[in-house]
Amino acid sequence: MVELVPSLLRQELNRLAEDGQRIDGRGQFDGRDVHLEVDCLYNAEGSAKVVWGDTIIYAGVKFEIRTPWPDRPAQGSLMCGAELRPVAHRKYEPGPPSPQSIELGRVVDRGIRESGCIDMEELCIVPGEKVWGVMIDIHVLSDGGNIFDAAGLAAIAALRTAVVPAERFDVGEDYTLKVNGTPIMASFKRAGGRFVYDPSEEEELGGDERIHITLGDEGHLHSLQKGLKGVFTPDEFAEILAVAEQKCSELREMVAEKEGN
Amino acid sequence: MGGYGDVKLLREDGKRLDGRAIDEMRPVTIEAGVLPAAHGSAMVTHGLNVAVAAVYGPMEAHPRKIQRQDRAVIDVRYNMAPFSTGDRIRPGFNRRSREISKVTAEALESVVLVERYPRSKIRVEIEILAAEAGTRCAGITAASVALADAGIPMRDMIVGVASGKIEDTVVLDLDKAEDNYGQADLPVGILPNTGEIAFLQMDGDLSIDEYNLAMEYNFKAAKEIHEEMVDALKRRYEGGEA
Repeated sequence: MVELVPSLLRQELNRLAEDGQRIDGRGQFDGRDVHLEVDCLYNAEGSAKVVWGDTIIYAGVKFEIRTPWPDRPAQGSLMCGAELRPVAHRKYEPGPPSPQSIELGRVVDRGIRESGCIDMEELCIVPGEKVWGVMIDIHVLSDGGNIFDAAGLAAIAALRTAVVPAERFDVGEDYTLKVNGTPIMASFKRAGGRFVYDPSEEEELGGDERIHITLGDEGHLHSLQKGLKGVFTPDEFAEILAVAEQKCSELREMVAEKEGN
Repeated sequence: MGGYGDVKLLREDGKRLDGRAIDEMRPVTIEAGVLPAAHGSAMVTHGLNVAVAAVYGPMEAHPRKIQRQDRAVIDVRYNMAPFSTGDRIRPGFNRRSREISKVTAEALESVVLVERYPRSKIRVEIEILAAEAGTRCAGITAASVALADAGIPMRDMIVGVASGKIEDTVVLDLDKAEDNYGQADLPVGILPNTGEIAFLQMDGDLSIDEYNLAMEYNFKAAKEIHEEMVDALKRRYEGGEA
C-alpha cells in the first residue's frame, strides 16, 4: 500500500511543537501506558504480551536441539525474529518478510545478544554434538506506533520467563533459562522538528528519522539504530540518551515485578 | 487422525482424560474489539487454544484482477504463530494454512452480504497464538465476531465447532490427545439462527449414525458458543463507545 505523506499532519505536528505540545496531549518525553503480561501462552516455553498504547505485541520463546557451528562447538545460539503480518495494520501486506520486519527483528536481536544476558556456553548440551537453539518470535498484532519498544520489552520478558524443555527432548529435567540482565529499548522520533519519546502512529506518519537505543542493566549501550531519512546532532543525541536511561530503568523494574523477583 | 485405539482416551467412569463428559465442551471465552489498529477484531479462547481475528475493510480490491463487479471478495489468512505449537513452526504459509484459509473464506462469503460492496475487498486475518486442537473452529468463530465488530452486514454469524470419535465413542470437541489418537474429527461452521452449515470438513471413520450424533453435539455446542459471541458484542457496544 502506498503511504501518503500527509503534509497537513506534518504542519500540525510543527505547529504543536512550537508550543511544546504533542498531538495526543503528551509532553515531549512522556510515554504511553504500558501493560506487561508474562507466561500467557500455552505452547511457548516463555511468553509475554505487551499492550503499549494502541500497540499490542506477543513474543514467544521456543527451543530446539541442533548441532553446534564447527568453529563454536560448545556454544548454543539465539535468534530473534519479527513478523509484521497483515493482521497488525491495514498498511501491512502478505508476502515474504519485509525490510521493515527484518529491521525490527534484528534491532531487538542485537540488543539482547550484545547485552550478553544469554551465555551461549550455558546452552551447550554435548560439546560438538548437541546445543540448544533459542528462538524468540515477535508477533505484532496491532501497530499503534512505536512497535520497536513494545517488541523489545515483549522479547526480553518472554526470554526471562522461559523454561528449557529438556524433558520433552529427553536430555534431563526442565529448568529455568538463565538470563543475566534485562536489556531495554527506548525509541525516539523526530516529530514537529524535535525528538519525542514513544512516537504514536500519527507521529510516525508525519515525522522524520527515528532512533532506537538499547541499554543494559549497567546503563551501557548494546544496540543503536537510526532509521528513515533525516539527520541529528550530537547534542540532540545526548538529550534523548538521558531520557532513555530513565525510561529503561522504569521498564526494567516493571519486568522484574512481573517475574516476582 | 493418528493411531487408532492404541492410547486410552476414556476413563473407567466413562469420562474423558481431562474429566469432561462425552458431550461436554472445553470452556470458551470471547472478547470483541481487542485490536485497536483493526476495523473489527475478536479474541477467542477455546480450551487452551487462542485465536485472534482482525478485519480490515471493505477497501479497494487490488490487484484489479481479483475484483468482482457485483460483490466484495473476502481475503482470509489463517496463520499459526511460530510459538503456537510444541515444535516451532517456520513462519509463512504452508499447505495446511492455505487450505484452511480458502475454505474459511468460502464459508464467510456465504454469510457476509458481499453484494453490498461491489469491487471491494474485506480482509480477514486469523492468527493462532496457541494451538491445542480445534484452531480452525476457534478461528472461524473469532472471524465472525470480528466481522460483526467491524459493522459488516451478515445473514448470520458462523460458529466453529467440532465433534469426533475416540475409542468408538462420539465425543464433542476433541482436545489435543483425542485429536492425535482418536478415530475421527468433524469440524463444522454452523449458522445458529438458520440452522444451516457453511463450513464442513471431516477426516477419519464415522458411521452414518455416528455422523448424525456428532452433528447433534455440534449444533448443541454452537448454540452455547453463539450466546458467548452475542454477549461479547453486547459488552463491546453497550458501554456507549459505538
